[in-house]
Amino acid sequence: MGFKLDYLLSILPRLISAAAVNLRLAVIIMLLALVLGTALTIVRSRKIAAVNACIAVVISFVRGTPLLIQIFIAYYVLPAVGLDLSPEVAGVSAIAFNSMVFVSESMRGGLATIDAGQIEASTALGLPPHAIWLKVVLPQLFRRIVPVLINEATIVVKGTALLSVITVVDVLRTSQQIASSSYRPFETMIGSALVFLVINLAISLSGRLAERRFAAARA
Amino acid sequence: MSAVPVLRVSNLTKRFHGVTTLDQVYLDVHAGQIVALIGPSGCGKSTLLRCLTWLEQPDDGFIEVAGKPLGRELMPGGVVRRHSRRQIDALRPQVGIVFQQFHLWPHMTALENVVRPQTVVLGRSRDEATRRGAELLMRLGLADRMDRHPHALSGGQKQRVAIARALAMDPALMLFDEPTSALDPELVGEVLAVLRTLADIGMTMLVVTHEIGFAASLADRIAFMDRGRILEEGPARDILAAPKEPRLQSFLDLVRTDHRIVRTTANPTE
Amino acid sequence: MHFDPAILVDYWPLLLQGAWLTLQVSVAALLLGYAAGIAVALIALTPGWLPRLVAGFYVEILRNIPFIIILFVVYYGLPFWGIRLPATLVGTVALALFASAYYAEIVRAAILALPRGQFESARAIGMSPANAMWHVVAPQILRALVPPSTNMTLTMMKESAVLSSITVPELTYQSLVVQGNTFAPFEVFAAVASIYWLIAAAIAEASRRLERRVGAVQAEAVSRNRIADRYLSLVARRT
Repeated sequence: MGFKLDYLLSILPRLISAAAVNLRLAVIIMLLALVLGTALTIVRSRKIAAVNACIAVVISFVRGTPLLIQIFIAYYVLPAVGLDLSPEVAGVSAIAFNSMVFVSESMRGGLATIDAGQIEASTALGLPPHAIWLKVVLPQLFRRIVPVLINEATIVVKGTALLSVITVVDVLRTSQQIASSSYRPFETMIGSALVFLVINLAISLSGRLAERRFAAARA
Repeated sequence: MSAVPVLRVSNLTKRFHGVTTLDQVYLDVHAGQIVALIGPSGCGKSTLLRCLTWLEQPDDGFIEVAGKPLGRELMPGGVVRRHSRRQIDALRPQVGIVFQQFHLWPHMTALENVVRPQTVVLGRSRDEATRRGAELLMRLGLADRMDRHPHALSGGQKQRVAIARALAMDPALMLFDEPTSALDPELVGEVLAVLRTLADIGMTMLVVTHEIGFAASLADRIAFMDRGRILEEGPARDILAAPKEPRLQSFLDLVRTDHRIVRTTANPTE
Repeated sequence: MHFDPAILVDYWPLLLQGAWLTLQVSVAALLLGYAAGIAVALIALTPGWLPRLVAGFYVEILRNIPFIIILFVVYYGLPFWGIRLPATLVGTVALALFASAYYAEIVRAAILALPRGQFESARAIGMSPANAMWHVVAPQILRALVPPSTNMTLTMMKESAVLSSITVPELTYQSLVVQGNTFAPFEVFAAVASIYWLIAAAIAEASRRLERRVGAVQAEAVSRNRIADRYLSLVARRT
């Protein structure tokens, strides 16, 4: 039995329309992760010992356990405590929570590269803290971590494939459904691999273009 | 003078992206000679040295080291045969090179820098290689520096370790790329002394330099290179006293004036 | 609801078996993946454009596809080419394949960060490329390799949870089995998450020891002033 290219081509349209699910979820997750990650970073910058100790435990937990387990926790454990979420919402929450931590951690790295003199100057001018965050620190910080965020976006897109395990009908689950009736799982999987490859290469490429824009704008 | 030169370069040509860096270079270096290769920066001097060690592959032309072809050879009937990597590596120890930045291996002691290539490349026993390495380092005045790592050595000491590393391979020819440029100006005399001791033991050397004074006091012969060609070559005294090539004349004028300016600004009372 | 660890009493052996397999699979994939990664990095650094292109494709393809899909491609691909292997072996191979792309980039970046003269001086004196790599390049990049390789190994160990989807009886698979028997998700996943956490801590500790042995460079602490620290630092200043 040889590789059937025409079969692969015939299922691509279905896989591509399923990719809309992955893309939609990935965008929601990224937005949540950015907002929550920024909020977490600002909270951490207050340096309240007890709060930061708790956050440190959460970060260590998120970084030390598989994303799949985190998804299972959202899917199986949250309903048990009364939060009955749909698979999609449970999955999005889990990945967004995971990504939030990584965003905040990369912000921590980015903060260290911002010139201290600007903060001193802003403080001396009497700018209130929220203005210093919004007008001085965050704009520079986001520009600096663009490459990291692009990378995180591709990780999030890849993460959405795991949601098939908790019955979200995404590219992977669609291809499994197709394969179960066509008995051609190999070609089908190659098809979904291609879909993810194209999405992520497009993200990396546009990220690189955006970076060059930023670099040119700063020069 | 023996019939077979230690180094024979003929018709050597090298292009980078369409720009000709070496343009039909011919050069012979005979046993025991010190040849200084001078010329303005970017004239192809360093590229020539890199080709002579096959770090850069020339596009055309031939190199012979002590009569043995390096890299490619002309077979009877005009066929050019390219050498395998192994053949080239086998001949490489014959051409010792001391880089401008020395490129000592920082994770090894001075002695180990000299010993390791002997055991790895020549297959010498560790004992023999250590004996040879220690002897060379001692002769170069580094008896008490052998167990130090490169970062704990001065520039001049690093250079002498690099020299010992190359000499330990028993090369037929030594190449020096700008031996004075990475060192403090007051060390030029020291470098000169070290190269003279090598001359005393009959080592054949090709020295790339941009310092005319250094070339004048060291070399038997001088080759002048400009725009990828060797324009004039001859006994050092003749070249410096009576340059025939107009470009060499203007080059000498230029560096001599420069030299005088440097001197006057350095010692305003002089 | 309340937390009742007693529920798990009968199932601890199962979870520990799973954890042991997770560890075994991760170590096997580390060794296999690193060997492949070094090979790919060396191919990527050869002068010819074709091998470089092939190595580049290898890395980009594997890094841009979710591991779960790489796993299924290998899982269905091997029988497609007539190779039948037990699921655990298939999972290990897929995991090694996935990790090798990242290890290759780590090794390649470390080699490129070394001044070119180091390799060239070894070649000019007559060492073969292999000897120049072994005697001159490898000892110098070792320290730079440890921190990023540890990170990747942690990521890879965590990705091994996905092997549960092809019935490899590792920790995540066993946790789903226990979950199906007990219907006590809180206890089960708390226990499993803790075990993963411990494995991650063990890997991090092993890396710290390795780092001390090869003498990796410690990052310097950035010293700043108090006002700027209010915004730019997330850790309290030690006085």
